[in-house]
Amino acid sequence: MKIYEWINERVDISSIKKIALKKRVPIFYGTIWYYLGGVSLFLFMIQVFTGILLVLYYQPGAETAYESVKFIISRVEFGWLIREVHSWSANLFILFVFFHMFTVFFAKAYRKPREMTWISGMILLLLSLGFGFSGYLLPWNELAYFATKVGSDIAGAIPIIGDFALRLLRSGDEVSGATLTRFYGIHTALLPGIFTVMLGLHLILVQVQGMSVPPEIEKIPEKERKSIPFFPDFALQDAMAWLIVLNIIALLAVFFPWELGPKADPLASAPAGIRPEWYFMFMFQTLKYIPAHVLFIEGELFGILLFSIGGFIWFMVPFLDKKAHEGIRTPFWTWFGILLIIYMIVFTAWGYLT
Amino acid sequence: MIKRSYWLLIGLLFSFSTLIADSTLKKDACVSCHIEVDEENDDEDKIVSYYKSDLHVKLGFSCADCHGGDPEAYDDEDEAMWENDTFIGVIEKEEQLEVCGKCHSNPVFMRQYSTDIKVDQVTQYLTSGHGIALENGNENVAVCSSCHGVHGILPVDDPRAPVYAKNIPKTCSKCHSDETVMFESGLPTNQFTEYEMSVHGMALLDRGDIGAPACNDCHGNHGASPPYVSNVDQICGTCHSNNKDLFQKSHLNDIFLSKGLGQCEACHGNHDIAKPTDEFLNWADESTCKPCHEDSHPAKALALSFYQTIDSLKTGLEHARKMVEKAEHKGMIVSNLLFDLDDAKKALIHTRTNIHSFNKAFVDTGAAPGFQSIQAAIIGAKESLEEVEYRKKGLFIFSLIITFFVIAIGFKINEWKKQRESASN
Repeated sequence: MKIYEWINERVDISSIKKIALKKRVPIFYGTIWYYLGGVSLFLFMIQVFTGILLVLYYQPGAETAYESVKFIISRVEFGWLIREVHSWSANLFILFVFFHMFTVFFAKAYRKPREMTWISGMILLLLSLGFGFSGYLLPWNELAYFATKVGSDIAGAIPIIGDFALRLLRSGDEVSGATLTRFYGIHTALLPGIFTVMLGLHLILVQVQGMSVPPEIEKIPEKERKSIPFFPDFALQDAMAWLIVLNIIALLAVFFPWELGPKADPLASAPAGIRPEWYFMFMFQTLKYIPAHVLFIEGELFGILLFSIGGFIWFMVPFLDKKAHEGIRTPFWTWFGILLIIYMIVFTAWGYLT
Repeated sequence: MIKRSYWLLIGLLFSFSTLIADSTLKKDACVSCHIEVDEENDDEDKIVSYYKSDLHVKLGFSCADCHGGDPEAYDDEDEAMWENDTFIGVIEKEEQLEVCGKCHSNPVFMRQYSTDIKVDQVTQYLTSGHGIALENGNENVAVCSSCHGVHGILPVDDPRAPVYAKNIPKTCSKCHSDETVMFESGLPTNQFTEYEMSVHGMALLDRGDIGAPACNDCHGNHGASPPYVSNVDQICGTCHSNNKDLFQKSHLNDIFLSKGLGQCEACHGNHDIAKPTDEFLNWADESTCKPCHEDSHPAKALALSFYQTIDSLKTGLEHARKMVEKAEHKGMIVSNLLFDLDDAKKALIHTRTNIHSFNKAFVDTGAAPGFQSIQAAIIGAKESLEEVEYRKKGLFIFSLIITFFVIAIGFKINEWKKQRESASN
């Protein structure tokens, strides 16, 4: 308390305290959804913490990356735990970000005045996928190498800027040690920098605008709506969820460790069963089964166009779903979300089963 | 108009290319007549059809280069063949050495095709079983064409050639498995049947491993002859050099020679060499020592000691491998232990080779690093498995602490809730 007073005498932080204490969390059937954003934030914090520890030993470079990861796992005290937690929390982070995004979508939380929160969230999702793609290559193992090769090939198929994008990603014509160094820079400096700014904006918006409720709940008079204070009740409930997630990560790290596999060999032929990370699988599977030519467009290019248009529509949902601002649920957007989830699940499962 | 010219041009180009392709054959009077003869003949008797794929033709040789005659006498059969002094016609067996040797024994001539080409085929042939028999007037022997074919001779590295590594056993067996052909020489005819079932035969014929020896690798090519007893180890030693060296230094080498036993052959056989197993040493039915040694002979103890050493290495290696795999399946990094397993496997292979020294101390010394590697792998795997257990215990304690905090927070939240409810009441 003395520290608070000491700071408050010098910088007025009582207004922040007021906002925090004033903030309430609505209680209704969907309160559980509010945990998803918090858990995603917690997983990101784990990423930062374990990532910093890994950087202390990791050495980027075609000749050193694999060896240093092996060293971390086998020789560094608790190195295996840090690497496992980093890998597992990365995957869970993407999973929770997806959950968070869809619950926000179905709760129509993107409606006025929260359009910017949605846009900042979407940018955070894209950055998270960038984290996943760049981090996947860093152990420099066989699977990561060829998956990155395939992934960056797709970038090369983009019209006009394809060649430039490919060379920008790979730092040359082929995936090499230079690509690894570039991905390391992107993963540990560029993305964290942008992500932190965007996350700050996202959190400020959430705090300033308060918790959104679905249109049906909003129609209930405010006095009749149940709620609990964010501090300390919901914050402690959040802490409970975080602890449970932390325990799940520890469990996964011990019982389902990530295999390092053989070292990447650029001269070797690609092994069978090359797959991207699970969150790219639905796109990978779609591209695999698009015919070589669709009308006059090349199949791969058609796929990229399809994803770009789809992604743009999803990005712009707050501006396209105009009825949502009036608190009306339009079946079109509900079905759009449901079909998108079905498509993603089916194609991901198909990719793993075939 | 442009379209018509386009098709005309394509037509001309096509006709021109066809003309070029056949020009080498049509300029030859022998070919132009024998094409017609071929049409009347069965497949096997066709000459020009096979001739097209012949290596010599591709290098620019004509029929007349071997058979004589005038290839430019297009309209006169007599001038082309019968009345021409150089005409040989069908080349008989005894003439083949001279006809083929005319070029193949001429180093200056052959050098234009390859700088390291061999020119000793005829000389070698004359020292072979086939050559000696031919010199003695026996025409029932293989000559150049018996193995290389007549028209349509292919290079030795062409998989279709009868002398391509994989085809050699079949080529030799054409005569050597034929009782009628072999009757006069009194040679057995079961070599191919035995070879087919042997470790070498299966490697070459079934798996297509052209590194595996065919008939010529042991008997020679042009100088083909049965190896002498004293040569057997040299022949096998071409590939199995360590085994040869060890055996030559062993006390058994002289004993085998004095008794007229082929060194390797006495235990492993010749055409029917089976894949050796460790049971050869187990003094049981499969033992290769028993046919010569009584049970009371010290060879029994020696063979059994070898067997035990190899068996201990084998079972130790298997045990270590299973432990390492177990640790690997539990997510541990075992790459260093895999090196130990590799070292142990190498030691096992060396030990199997070392038994050809018939020296217990030497075999035991060679096997020792293998046992050390096995021990290192087992210790490493045990440590890894202990680490797994340690992690599980750590997880258990961590989970207990987390559960405690979760319950504590739950109680606290409940307490506040009750406090608020009582305050509002």
